[in-house]
Amino acid sequence: MAEGIGTLRELRAALDSRKTSSVEIVGGCLRRAEASQQSLRAFVGLRAEAALREAEASDARRERGEVRSPLDGLPIAIKDNMVQTGEPTHCASRILEGFVSPYTATAVAGLERAGVVVIGRTNMDEFAMGSSTEHSVEGPTRNPWDLDRTPGGSSGGSAAAVAARIVPAALGSDTGGSIRQPASFCGVVGMKPTYGRVSRWGLVAFASSLDQIGAFALTAADCAWVLEAIAGHDARDSTSIPEPAPAYSAALSGDLSGLRLGLPKEYFVSEGVDAGVLAVVREAVAGLERAGAKTLEVSLPYARYAIATYYSIANAEASSNLARFDGVRYGHRTAGAKGLTEMYCRTRSEGFGAEVKRRILLGTYFLSAGYYDAYYRKAQQVRTLLRGDFEQAFAGCDAIVTPTSPEVAFRLGEKTSDPLTMYLSDIYTVSANLAGIPALSTPCGFAHGLPVGLQILGPALDEATPLRIADAFQRITDHHTACPGGVS
Amino acid sequence: MARISRAEVERVASLARLSLSDEEGDRLVREFESFLGYIDTLQEIDTAGVVPTAHPISLPTPTRPDEPEVAMDPDSAVANAPEAVASAFLVPKVIDTEAEG
Amino acid sequence: MSASGGEFEVVIGLEVHAHLRTKSKLFSPAPILYGAEPNHSVHPVCLALPGVLPVLNEHAVELAIRAALAMNCEVHQRSIFARKNYFYPDLPKGYQISQYEEPLATGGWVDIPTQGAGGAASKKRVRLTRIHMEEDAGKSIHDDAIAGADATLVDLNRAGVPLIEIVSEPDIRSAEEATDYLRAIRSILRFTDVSDADMEKGHLRCDVNVSLRPHGSDEYGTRTELKNLNSFRFIEDAVRAEIERQSETLRAGGAVRQCTLAYDPQSGRTSVLRIKEDADDYRYFPDPDLIPMLLAPEQIERVRSEVPELAEQRAERFQHEWGLSEQDAIQLTASPAIANFFQAAADRHGAPQTVANWILRDVMQALKELEMALDDSPFSPEALAQLISMVDEGKTTVKSARGLIAELVESGGDPESLIAERGLAAVSDAGVLERAVAEVLAENPENVELFHSGEKKVVNFLMGQVMRKTQGKADPAAVREILARELGK
Repeated sequence: MAEGIGTLRELRAALDSRKTSSVEIVGGCLRRAEASQQSLRAFVGLRAEAALREAEASDARRERGEVRSPLDGLPIAIKDNMVQTGEPTHCASRILEGFVSPYTATAVAGLERAGVVVIGRTNMDEFAMGSSTEHSVEGPTRNPWDLDRTPGGSSGGSAAAVAARIVPAALGSDTGGSIRQPASFCGVVGMKPTYGRVSRWGLVAFASSLDQIGAFALTAADCAWVLEAIAGHDARDSTSIPEPAPAYSAALSGDLSGLRLGLPKEYFVSEGVDAGVLAVVREAVAGLERAGAKTLEVSLPYARYAIATYYSIANAEASSNLARFDGVRYGHRTAGAKGLTEMYCRTRSEGFGAEVKRRILLGTYFLSAGYYDAYYRKAQQVRTLLRGDFEQAFAGCDAIVTPTSPEVAFRLGEKTSDPLTMYLSDIYTVSANLAGIPALSTPCGFAHGLPVGLQILGPALDEATPLRIADAFQRITDHHTACPGGVS
Repeated sequence: MARISRAEVERVASLARLSLSDEEGDRLVREFESFLGYIDTLQEIDTAGVVPTAHPISLPTPTRPDEPEVAMDPDSAVANAPEAVASAFLVPKVIDTEAEG
Repeated sequence: MSASGGEFEVVIGLEVHAHLRTKSKLFSPAPILYGAEPNHSVHPVCLALPGVLPVLNEHAVELAIRAALAMNCEVHQRSIFARKNYFYPDLPKGYQISQYEEPLATGGWVDIPTQGAGGAASKKRVRLTRIHMEEDAGKSIHDDAIAGADATLVDLNRAGVPLIEIVSEPDIRSAEEATDYLRAIRSILRFTDVSDADMEKGHLRCDVNVSLRPHGSDEYGTRTELKNLNSFRFIEDAVRAEIERQSETLRAGGAVRQCTLAYDPQSGRTSVLRIKEDADDYRYFPDPDLIPMLLAPEQIERVRSEVPELAEQRAERFQHEWGLSEQDAIQLTASPAIANFFQAAADRHGAPQTVANWILRDVMQALKELEMALDDSPFSPEALAQLISMVDEGKTTVKSARGLIAELVESGGDPESLIAERGLAAVSDAGVLERAVAEVLAENPENVELFHSGEKKVVNFLMGQVMRKTQGKADPAAVREILARELGK
C-alpha cells in the first residue's frame, strides 16, 4: 500500500506552509481508496471528479486568503447513509438502488460550509443494522489489521478507511455502537455525541430515538475539529438541541488533575469479556490515574438489560422507518408484479437483506396488537430506569470508562449464523444511545495483536470531557499512532 | 411470555409487506424463539409507575412558522421513481381485497 | 326509505376530517396549492425521501386549539403525535402521523337545532369524544387513459396537509341530525377561520358510524362505517339507505356484520368495501421524530381569548343590539362572509334593518342569479352602505339602486360614479318635476276628480305615473310634495 495520510492537523500545517495543496491531498486519498478497494472494500462510491474540483476551489480560496475553517481543503469520507445533493445514497442496500438525492444532509452541509472535501461514501451494514459490515449488498469490508477479520460495524467502512490511512477522518452514525465498536476494532478514535447534538436531517433513519451522527479520526483533537463542523442546532430536526456547536478544541487542555472517573462495577468483571481486552483496559485506566485522574466505582444496575431494551426499541422504530421503501417513489421495484400487494411484497423481499428483514419482522411484532405493552412500552420504561442509572452515576463522577467491546475484531462469518451472539457484542455501547449521552472510543492498546478500544462516556451535552480525556491519554500514549501492516 | 408460531410470523410478515420462503419462515420461527426468550429478561423488572422514555432528552416543543418553501421541481420530485407518468407516480392497481386503512 | 329506524333506535356517530387553513403543510414546508398538477406542491418531506424529518407547523397547532375551544373541548397541555402504520401508495412514509393515546383535546360538544316539544325550535347537544391533529394522505388517481388499465397514478400534493379529526359520541339519532351536526361543525370551522370547510373541495370529509338497537336498549348494536361521503345530500341519503339495510337484516333475523361501506349515489345503495378484520393492526406508537407537544396554559388561554364569535352568538347580538328578527339574524349568519359583510355595511350605514333588507333581498338574489359566493364578489360592504345612503338622501331612487346591485356584485365599482355615469341620479329639479306633475294631472282628469271626491289613494297611482314619466329617476319625496300641493289647489 501507498504511504498513508497524516492527521488533519498535520495536513492543515502542510497546507498552511504550502508544502502541499488540497488537490494533491485529495488526489492521494482517491488513489489510496481505489488501490485499497480490492482488499478492504471500505468504499461503496467515490466522487473523484467533484472532489478534485472542490479541492481546486479550496486551493484558490487559500491563495486569496479566504480559508473558511481549519478543515478547508481537507478530505473526508461519509457513510453511505447520509445524503448529498446529486449523489447516490444506498445504505448498502439493494432497495435504494439508483437513488440520487435531491438534497443534502445538514451534517454534510456543515462539512461543505467548512470547505471540507467529501471524497466518497463508505461501506456499512445495510441500513446500519449490524456490528460487522458484513451485511452489505456491496460485500463485506475487511479489517486493515487482519483481512480475515471484520472492521466491526455498522460504520465499518468509515473506520477501516481511517485506520488504513486512506482518509484522515470520516463520518459515521451510531445507533447502538456503530461508530465506537468499529473504532475499537480498527484502532481509531470514534465519537458519538449527545443525542440531538448533530442534526439527523438527511441521515437515513434506522432507529430515530437512538441514531446519532458522529466522527472518526486518528486523534481526539482531529475528532473535535470534525464535530465542531457538524454539530449545532438545526430547525429541520425536531430533536435537535437548540444550542450552537460547542468549541471542543478549546477544552483539550491535556490536564486530568482532579478528574473523577467512574468505573461501572458491572462492566469490570471477567465474565463475558475477553481477558486480554480487560487487561489492556485496566492498564489504560491506570495510565489515566497516573495522569491525575481519580477513579471510583459506580453502578449501573439496569445495564444488564440494555441489550434487550435496545433491540426492542431499535427494531420497533426500524420497522416503521423502513416502511417508506416500497418501490413507489424511489429505489428498487420488482419487475412484472400483478397488483399492488404483490409489488410491495416482492419489492421489499428482494430489496432488503436477511438481517434487515429479521429486524423489520421483530419490530413489527413488538408493535403489533397485543404485544406493544409487553415489548415496546416495557422497553421504554426500562430505558427510563437506565437513564436514571447514568444520572445517578454522573452525580459522583465526571466521566465513565469501560471497554468499548468485550472482544477484539472477530473473524468474517464468525457470527453471521447466530444473530443473537452478534447482538450481544454491543453490550457496552448500547447504553449510551439509550441514555442519549456522548461516548467515544479511543485506542488503548492491543490484545491478540489487534486493537482494543477504551470507551469514555460523558454526561448529556458534555462531549468536551470525554474528548479532553482521550486527548490527554493520547499525549501520554502512542496506541493511536500505530498503523496496520502495509501502511506507513 | 408467549412463544411464536409459524402462523404468527406469517401474519407479521404480511403486516410488514415481506414475503417469506418456506426456509426463511422456518428459520425466522427459530430466531424469534431465541430472541424473544432473551428479551423476556425485561419481564423480571417491575416497571409499575415508570414513565416510558420516548426521547433521551427533554426539549420544548419545536415548531416552525407557517411559511411555505418553494415546491420541488416536479421533474425532480419523480426523478427517482421506478415509474412515473405526467409528473405522477405510477403503481400497479389494487387487484385483491387490499384496501386503504 | 325512512329517516328513522322504525322499530329500531338509530345510533350514529361521526368522524369529521377538516383541513386546517394554513399556507404550508403540517410537518413539511411544502406550500398547499389546491388544484395543482400532480406533485407540483411537494417537498422532500412530502415524498418521504430517505433522511427527511417532520417539523410541526405552529399555525396548524393554533388553529386546532382554536377549533377545539370553539367546540367546548378540554385542550390538553401535553399531547403526543403517533405513527399509524399501514401501506398504501398515497401514504409515502408507510405511516400517517396522527394522534392516538393523548390527543390534543377531549370532551366538548356541539349544539344542533332540533324540534322541541310541540314542534318548538330547540337545541340538541351532541357530545364530542375527542379532537386530534393529523396529516392528510395523497391521492390515488384512477385514469386508464393516462395510467393504463393496470396502473394507478399517485399525486402527493395533498400528502401532509394538516387536518383535525373531530370524533363525536354516538349521540345522533337520524340522518337529518347527522347533516345538521355536520352543518354546525362547518359553521364553527368557518366562523373561527380554522378551515374553509368546503366539502366539494375536500376540505371537509366525514365517515359515519351507524348502528341500530331496539328502542329502550342500553347496548349498542354492531356498527358499520360509511366512508368518504363528500356532500350533505350523499350523507343523508347514504345514512337512510344504511338504516334501511340494517333494519331489513335485523327484521329478517340476521346479524349486522362490522364492515366498511361505500355509498353509490347512482343506485342509492350502500355496498361493503371490506369486512373489518384483525388485519387492521396499525401498530400505533409515539413518533420518535417528534417530541411530545407541550402547550403552556397561557398559550391555551390566549387562543381562548381570541376565538372569534360563532354564528349563534353573532345572530343573538344582531337581534339584541340591532333589533333584527330571529329569522333575519339566522340568515345573515349563514356564513362568516355574509355576517361580516352585513356587519361592516350596517356599521357604516347606521340603520341595520335597512341594510339587512337590502342584503337579504337584493344582494342574495343577485348572488343566486350569478351563481356566485359572496367571498368571490368584489362588492364591498362600504359600497352597499354608500348606495343605500344615496337612496336615503334622495340622490337616487330605490329602483335605480336595485338595478345596480347585480352589476356591483359581479364586478364591483363605486356606486356614486356608476350612478353619475348611467344618469341614474334622482331628478329633484323643481321645474322638471312640476312640468311632469302638470302633464300627469292633465292626462288623468278622472283620477283628479276621484281624489277630490275623497279617494285619497289615487295619489299613489298619480305618483306612479310621474315616476314613469321621469323613467323612475324622480325624487319620490319631491314628487309627493308637488302632487299634494297641486291637488290641494
